[in-house]
Amino acid sequence: MKNLGTVFKFEFFTILNKKAFKVSTIILSLIIIIALTIPSIANVVGKPLFDKENGEIKSEVTEEKIKYGITIKDKSINLSDLKEEMKENELVAVKSVEELKEKVLSNEIEAGFLIKSPLKYNYIVKDTSISKSNNELFESVLLKLYREKSIENKGINYEQVEEIYNKSIDSEIQILGKDGIKNYFYTYIFIIGLYLIVLFYGQMIATSVASEKSNRSMEILVTSTSTRSLIFGKVFAGALAGLTQFITILLVALLTYKLNLKAWNNTIDFLFDVPINVLVTFSLFGTLGYLLFLFIYSVVGALVSRTEDISSSSMPVMILFMVGFFISIIGLNNPDTILMKVASFFPFTSFMAMFARVSMGSVPKVQIIVSFIVLLITTIATGVLSSRIYRLGTLMYGNPIKISRAFKMLRNK
Amino acid sequence: MQLKIKDIYKSFSNTRVLHGISFSINKGKALGFLGRNGAGKTTVIRILMGLFDADSGEIMLNEIPFKVSEHSIGYLPEERGLYPKQKVIEQLIYFGKLKGMNKESAKDSSIYWLEKLGVLEYRDKKLDTLSKGNQQKVQIAQTLLGDPDIIVLDEPFSGLDPVNSQILKDIINELIQEEKMVIFSSHQMSYVEEFCEEIVLIDKGDIVLTGNLNEIKKLYGKNRITLSSVNLNVVELQDSLYKLSNINIIEVKKDYIIIQLLTGYTKSQLLIDLIEQNIDIKQFSVYEPSLTDIFVEMVGDNI
Repeated sequence: MKNLGTVFKFEFFTILNKKAFKVSTIILSLIIIIALTIPSIANVVGKPLFDKENGEIKSEVTEEKIKYGITIKDKSINLSDLKEEMKENELVAVKSVEELKEKVLSNEIEAGFLIKSPLKYNYIVKDTSISKSNNELFESVLLKLYREKSIENKGINYEQVEEIYNKSIDSEIQILGKDGIKNYFYTYIFIIGLYLIVLFYGQMIATSVASEKSNRSMEILVTSTSTRSLIFGKVFAGALAGLTQFITILLVALLTYKLNLKAWNNTIDFLFDVPINVLVTFSLFGTLGYLLFLFIYSVVGALVSRTEDISSSSMPVMILFMVGFFISIIGLNNPDTILMKVASFFPFTSFMAMFARVSMGSVPKVQIIVSFIVLLITTIATGVLSSRIYRLGTLMYGNPIKISRAFKMLRNK
Repeated sequence: MQLKIKDIYKSFSNTRVLHGISFSINKGKALGFLGRNGAGKTTVIRILMGLFDADSGEIMLNEIPFKVSEHSIGYLPEERGLYPKQKVIEQLIYFGKLKGMNKESAKDSSIYWLEKLGVLEYRDKKLDTLSKGNQQKVQIAQTLLGDPDIIVLDEPFSGLDPVNSQILKDIINELIQEEKMVIFSSHQMSYVEEFCEEIVLIDKGDIVLTGNLNEIKKLYGKNRITLSSVNLNVVELQDSLYKLSNINIIEVKKDYIIIQLLTGYTKSQLLIDLIEQNIDIKQFSVYEPSLTDIFVEMVGDNI
């Protein structure tokens, strides 16, 4: 492996000099810069997105008065009481049910209420949908009026009762394990990031290997140095280029956020405040899983002879990867299922699943170490195997070779 | 330094392509490896370069099993290939470093060969912007990087025009002068004739002819005469020759006829017989076969 460094350096700078690499880094950075600067721009324009006091997103919508028709059949209910309680809406008295229906149908009023007794009413509306359920407010008002009247009839002061009812309890949450809500987002971002760089750089490695085959430089390469140096150098270079891009974008995000901290009012601080153990797990598992899949993709490249064949031949790899990805993403909500536990030991999914488990729940150290060792051994074995398959694929031109046939040929050797 | 290839057998998916190939070569010599398309030349070279394993047989250098990785070898594969999107000088330095050179010597060597081959001006160009001939020259520069002791060239002249072929011929001659070992395959016989002392001719995976080129030529020219006449054209000459019983007509060319003397019949006797036939002799000489003639005679009958 004496030429590992030479291959690594050559491949690394080849990627860094690629237009696709530069352009994608710049575009992604720009998107992040723009997105993170929006609150500052909003401040300048004079419509801050985040309230200075409580950091809550301010509601921009000013509601129009909605018109309701009311038909009262019970004399004990007073329209003016209702009006008093529903100041945001316009209530009009309607004489009969028929008239009420007519007005609803002609869109003159949003909906109609036929009050039969203090505790009974009909809600008349044209269309219902999830966003339009206007009767909840009305119902609570009706109920309030009933309670107020009944309680006062018993000679009790309603205001005192209301005061007792409206007392709230102060509470403080002390999380000793993991804060699921807080961790969810950055775990999600890390897994998505990992997903993207594996797919992007995996394809790139496969293309790079296949094009060495199609432009026939492979024959010179394998007669000049060991295939292990070639494959490991190429994969390490691809991996580092991917990490460089990922970290560049993260740093751009962090820096832009810091510059716009005031406008953000610390709203998404938690995204950048990742506990060190999560970071370490992510770095270790993420890097190994990333390398593992790059090795697998290099096998795909060695087994095809044209770059056009890569997408169809990499399908099984993609499916395997997607399965791990979805298990982990879904597992974020419930990291302690059997499926997640199995996935966190199976090396082709563990780098995402174990990371998700560690950041979303509590995992015994032994399990983490075992899973890591399994992943490490699998990655090294795949690397060695992929350089042997690369060697095998050197002079195999024509149709893509099936992986089963490649193993058979390796065994026969 | 002697490279010996002994009894190499190779099959691909149950089809045997090499049936016991053996030959040897010494330093300071060029070995021409000849054969028709598909004869197995490239397979032998790829086995020599360690790209394939032979099914059986061995390759020895100075009586020690030969390993490509332990020697400095320049290899020009039949399937030419470098990185099309990389700058010429950058990829040459890279290949030089892979061969074990440091950056400076790889650069110096690259510049030396690019200049010698007349393509130094393209050093900072991407390879795929060069013409095919110039790409071929860059490939030759890559082969010769780092002053290798053994040079293996698979069809080195394909794709080169006469001027460039001459440049390459000169370089190969220099390499021979420098006591390098040059093995090259070709079906362009004229080049092989120019600097190969030894030839190996293979056909369908078998060696059909091997040895010193001059001796082979002598052997093939033995008892053969080239004959032409002033007063007769080749057809008339051929008719006259039918009257002689001690000769075989080997080939009738456009301007002359090649005949073989049967055992016991001498050149002087033939001369007398020809004069008796009233043939006005224009050319009477010992036949020197070209390599092409030998090649066609050995492997051409089953075209």
